[in-house]
Parts: sequence; C-alpha cells; structure tokens
Amino acid sequence: MQSTIDFQDALQASYEAIQLATGNELMKEFRAKAFENFQAQGVPTRKYEEYKFTPIDRFLKGKIDFLRINETTPITQKEVEEHFYEIEGSHLVFVNGQFHADWSRIHGDLSLHEIDENFLSGDDQVLGQIADYEHDPFAALNHACFTSGISIKVASKEKTSVFIYHVIDSRQGQVISQPKVCLEAFANTQVAIAERLVLIGDNTLFHNPLTEVLVHENAQVNLTKVQAYGESHFVIDGVNVNQKRYSNFTANTMSFSGKLVRNNLNIAQLDENCESHMNGLYLLGGTSHVDNHTAVDHKMPNAYSNEMYKGIVTEKSTGVFNGKIYVRPGAQQTNAFQSNNNISLSDNATIHTKPQLEIWADDVKCSHGCTIGQLDEDALFYLRARGLDELTAKAIMLNAFAQDALTGIPFEVISKEVTEEIANRLAQ
Amino acid sequence: MLKIKNLKASIEDKQILNGLNLEVNAGEVHAIMGPNGSGKSTLASVLAGREDYEVQEGSIEYQGEDILELAPEERAREGIFLAFQYPIEIPGVSTTNFLKTAINQIREHRGEKALDAVSFLKLMKEKMKLVEMDQALLSRSLNEGFSGGEKKRNEIFQMAMLEPKLAILDETDSGLDIDALKIVANGVNALKADDNATIVVTHYQRLLDYIVPDFVHVLYNGRIVKSGDKNLALELEEKGYDWIKEEVSGELV
Repeated sequence: MQSTIDFQDALQASYEAIQLATGNELMKEFRAKAFENFQAQGVPTRKYEEYKFTPIDRFLKGKIDFLRINETTPITQKEVEEHFYEIEGSHLVFVNGQFHADWSRIHGDLSLHEIDENFLSGDDQVLGQIADYEHDPFAALNHACFTSGISIKVASKEKTSVFIYHVIDSRQGQVISQPKVCLEAFANTQVAIAERLVLIGDNTLFHNPLTEVLVHENAQVNLTKVQAYGESHFVIDGVNVNQKRYSNFTANTMSFSGKLVRNNLNIAQLDENCESHMNGLYLLGGTSHVDNHTAVDHKMPNAYSNEMYKGIVTEKSTGVFNGKIYVRPGAQQTNAFQSNNNISLSDNATIHTKPQLEIWADDVKCSHGCTIGQLDEDALFYLRARGLDELTAKAIMLNAFAQDALTGIPFEVISKEVTEEIANRLAQ
Repeated sequence: MLKIKNLKASIEDKQILNGLNLEVNAGEVHAIMGPNGSGKSTLASVLAGREDYEVQEGSIEYQGEDILELAPEERAREGIFLAFQYPIEIPGVSTTNFLKTAINQIREHRGEKALDAVSFLKLMKEKMKLVEMDQALLSRSLNEGFSGGEKKRNEIFQMAMLEPKLAILDETDSGLDIDALKIVANGVNALKADDNATIVVTHYQRLLDYIVPDFVHVLYNGRIVKSGDKNLALELEEKGYDWIKEEVSGELV
C-alpha cells in the first residue's frame, strides 16, 4: 500500500511541475480538470473491472520514477530520418514524447499545428472532446500531463498519408512520454496514418500516448500501429474515435512485445451508416503482457462494425482481449461482428478473452466468437509428411493464421514488414 | 525396398496391428485390402511416421535402414509419400506456397540446389497436366472448398512433384466418381518406374481395374491373412470379406 501512495504522490508532484511550466490559464484549467478526474479514478488496481487482468498499479510500482524529468537525448536528425518510410506523405517526429517540428516533413496542404491554448479557446471539436476521460484514467492523465501534442486537420481531396514516428531514446535514462495526437478528417477525405516506433536504449519507458480522431461525413480514416516494445517498456495507448454519417474508420493494431501494453480503442458511431473495422494481432513471447480493450458504440441506424483479433502466445506471455459492442435503441439494422481467435504454444502462456455485447435494439445482426486452441496436429502432420521440418510447418501455419489480421493495412511496405516480423518471431 | 516384420502398433491403448509382415520390392505395386477397421489406414499412418501411433514390436526397414525412429519429414525426404485418405484443409496456406518450401527442403537434404521460382513453376505446370489440375486451385488455400475429386487429384499432383520412391495411397478411391478415379489412376500409373514402388490401400476392387497390382494382400485384425495376385481382388469383390474371416477363425480353431 505504502508504495501505491508514493506512486500517486509522485504523479501529483509531476503534474504540479507541469502546471508550473504551463503559462496559459486556459491550458492550466484544462490540465487541472483532467487531473481531478484522474485522481478520482486513480491508477487501476485488480479490483477495477476494466483492468482485472492488467493491474497497472502492480506493473508500474517501483518501476517508474514520475518525479524524474527526461534527459536530453543526443539523437540526431539524420539518425531519425533513417527510419522514415520511403512512402510519399507527411512524416512527423516525436522524440521522447516531444514533437519535433524541425525534423518533421509536411506533405501537400496538410494542416498541422502544435497543440496550445488556441485549441481550447476556439471551436476545436477534437482536443479533449472525444476521449471519455471521466471513465478512462489514462486519457485523463494524458490530458493533465501531456508532454507535447499535435493537431492534424485534413481537408484535401487527395489521399493523405501521415507517418508518425515515436522515437524513444532511453540511453540517458528512464523516459516518460505522453504525446497527444488530434486528427480531424473533414467530409469526403481519405486519410491513412501509420505509427512507427524507433526504440534506442533499454532503460525504462512509460509511454501514454492519446489519440483523438473525428471522422466527418463520408470520410475514411485508417490507423495502423506496430507495437514492438522492449522488456522494460510500459505502455498505455489510447485511441478514441467519433464517426459521423457514412464515415469509415479502420484500426490495425499489431503487437509483438512489451512488458506491459494496454490498448484502449474506443469508437463511437454518432450518426447513421457508419462503418468501423478493428483488426488486431498479438504475437507474444517472453513475459510480454498485451491487453487490447476495444469498444464500438453503435448509436444510430444502419451501422456496421467488424472486429477481428488474432493472438499467438508463447513462453510466459499473456494476451488479453476484451471487445465491447453497444447497440443503442436507435441503432436498428446494425450489423456487428466480432471474433477473437487465439493459439497458445506453451503451457505457461495465458489468454483472457471476453466478448461483451450490449444490445438494446431488436432488429440487428450481431455475432461474436472467441477461441483458444493449439495448432492443428493433423495439419502439422500433413505438412511434415510432405517433407517440411516441424519448425517451418508451424511457422507456415501460424503465419497463415495471423495474415487475416493484416488485411486492413493500407501500406504494402508495412504489411510486408509485419509479415517479416511474424516470421522472425516465429523463428525464435 | 520395404520390409515390415512382425509389426505391432496401437493408438490410445487400442491394439490395431498385430504382427504384420510385408515385403515390397522396387518396381512393384501392392494392394492392401480388407474390411473396415482391419488396420489399413493405421499401417499407412505408421509408415508415414504419425506420432499418435505407438509401435510396440517389430521393425520397418526401408532401403536397408530402420525408419521407426525417423520423424515424418525425414521419411518424406528419404522418399516415402503418403497420399491421405482425408486430405487436410489448411486455411491461408496454398499448395504452391508450402510445396515450394517442401521441395527445397527435400532438395537440400539430398544435397541438391534449391529450385528457383521459374524452374519450380515449370515443374509445376508439367506435373499439373498429369492430373488435369487447374493452376488457380493450387494458389488457393490448401484443399479449402475443394471437391472430393480435386482433393485427391491434389494429392497425386503433390506426389508427382515430390517423386517418391515409395508411395502409399490411402483409400485414394474413396469419394471419387469414375472420371476422377481414372484421372487419379492415370496419374499414378504415369509415375510408375522400375526404381519405385506403390502401396495401394483400398476397400474396393474398383481402383485396381486402373492401377493393376502385382500383389494383393488381405489385412484382417491387424495381420496380413492372405496374399495373392490381382485375381484375389476380384474374388474379394465377388464374395466379400466374410469367407476370409471364416477362414481365419477356422485356422484359429
């Protein structure tokens, strides 16, 4: 108990330090209100239903020093640029949670601004408006303590591609990173965003990014995250989306490792004829713990959502999946599908999977299914009987199992990279 | 090529093979017939190295070496091929995809150079003709949504690609109409050579009209109880298996 209190105290002190550095009254108010909400909720323990299998307090206890300020990193622009995808689009760089405008490249007429008080005084509909921070302690914490943030507004009729690089350089010591990304895709636009991690050094990381997305009428947004964190990385990644009529949103969340990775993906379909896709893959080894909590809220008629998460767990890793589907009384003619299939390759690996459907409308089609199994022995024997060694046969089958989760990734370079990562992980 | 001596095997404590003896030489076609549950498919699986079966006694010598300790893939690389009675469906894995890897692993084992994409494709096209296989089928998920005939043709296609020394066809005729049966049989016959051998496991004589065996063996209660030439198969077709069962129980009395 003692250390839990210390931990909360440290967060409080770090928040106060951030407030001292915040000049603007509006921003101070924004942070203060969020921190109040964070404190009211606290750092989730096992008793907190949403974090039953991922008690954040236990994970973080004694691991992160919230009083410490990040050291400056010696990383150079050239080193960062080497990680840029060779794809046309905007390339945006965060280093240890701090947006780096000088190192970022804007393509076309993308509107990009660093988040400041102007977003609070004007009529911005994204910042602080989408994540339900009264019921999400880490969204509240990000609002209260965000290190740096950007707002992206897309109005272009051309396809827009945005690559966000989260460079984490922990060579000089522990890193605390709480970046913020706000995206507004105006009507009829088409945006694909992909996040890439650049990890240097192996000191502890606390990474609490928060993304808020507003998808206007008939706009399409696709968000891809590839998460291959290290054994000393603690990550809570929040993505919160509001959709307007005839819009389409797709999330591709590919997780390979991390001491603790908790993904909170929340989609609200505010208007009719919205379409949402949630694709996920977790392929875990060692003692990695990856928890995907997703929610899609169908509020209006003719809604559609499709969710497919695939999990492969080995060694002592843990995969958690919790998928909520709400179909509100007004959301007639909704089609909502969910599946979570898992393969466990070890007796010491753990899977927790929980579909959670709440349906108030009476004319809807909803289905869900979750499975946990081993590799099909008959199929394995078949492939071996054709001359494939056991390891290759397993890798071929697991790769095929995982591929379904990659279908929503719009960049070939990235799906290839993910496929290679799958092969590498399976070869170990 | 193959010498099976006093083979006893079980699965989950159920005794299936009870001292089976069989000798197969290069250039020969052997048919193994027998009533349901006599152990035909078990024999095929044990030869291919399926680990669910436990061999308690006896030996399997293949090309002068005891193969009982070899893994399925090692047997395959030494030239043993099993055409499955029920070819497995594997979503997301195409025949082309895994077969290329398999062939190159086998070639590596034999100290041969890996086939490049072009040579592989050329080989594939040549062998596809043999079983009148459509290339589109081969790039689809393995056996998923294939008809019964397509699955069996795919088995023989793979056999043609792997060029085994010893091919075991487990009930390859089951579920085939007469046209498909002919295609499959023609494929098998085309692959016949002086230096390879074929074991055809079947319940019915029908297939043996097309793949003519040099020897016919009757398997009953896990042992070969009668051997003969192709006429034995005709006799079985005409009289059924009851007279064999009676003969065997007569012997025992």
